[in-house]
Amino acid sequence: MTDVSDAGLRRRVTDLPPAVAELIDEATVQEIAEQAWLALVGEDEVLVPLPAPLPAETLSSWVEIVGPWTGWVALTCGRDTALDLTRALLGEHAPEEVEQEDVHDALGELANVVGGNVKAVLPGPSVLGLPEVGTTPPSGREADSVRVALLWRGSPLTVRVQSVLAERENEVSL
Amino acid sequence: MKILVADDSRVMRQIVIRTLRQAGYDDHDIVEAEDGRDAYEKVRSEGPDLVLSDWNMPNMTGLECLQALRGSGSTVPFGFVTSEGSAEMREKAADAGALFLIAKPFTADTFTEHLEGVLA
Repeated sequence: MTDVSDAGLRRRVTDLPPAVAELIDEATVQEIAEQAWLALVGEDEVLVPLPAPLPAETLSSWVEIVGPWTGWVALTCGRDTALDLTRALLGEHAPEEVEQEDVHDALGELANVVGGNVKAVLPGPSVLGLPEVGTTPPSGREADSVRVALLWRGSPLTVRVQSVLAERENEVSL
Repeated sequence: MKILVADDSRVMRQIVIRTLRQAGYDDHDIVEAEDGRDAYEKVRSEGPDLVLSDWNMPNMTGLECLQALRGSGSTVPFGFVTSEGSAEMREKAADAGALFLIAKPFTADTFTEHLEGVLA
């Protein structure tokens, strides 16, 4: 009985997908974000890879990826930065007073584009969800994530690729 | 010439329209649709010369919209502008009758490259 149980456990552990850091590195995540910024925010809009503390009030957008690797890709920045990003994305169509709906739309679309390109690097086939926006992205073990800290126009933002592996966490408790 | 831009993100519709202008297509009429169902209805009512559509949209996806259009006999030129461009998606798009798939992020040059033959 013990042997059978052990074999089952070993098989489940063996079947677990690798940690996300084994699938994508920080440089690739940064490059994907840079390309998204240049194309969507503006051709002079660079991202500088310098870590800086995020402000107390942040906004996040994220997209879920479900497949051989399951998790989410999140973008987090200060609320003021989110407003500035929205104005930059809307360009000449930006209203004097940007509405929250537009901020969510803009930040969500950035996460969508970055997430779509992260998905292309990770093992497939997988499905990309619709973008979501909130104060904090879903929970996940930080140890199983790739996080890039960047500055845009001097303001900090982060891009995080986070594995969601309930099974892996359950296995640890055994 | 009339171009229908379908995307559930208003911001992305503006970016697509801006990129169309940067690519030199600034004298075309632009019609916007906010999801696949809206795009389907506007193809019928507006008669665009080209549809540029997102893939992932609520209510009706871009692919479902294209399939519904072809199923109803519409031959409107249709291209995807979407955040993913896997081989599998490109194959699905081509099988459904799409002319091209532009993956985001894109540039004005990308638009020119794909639209030259269609809007000549």
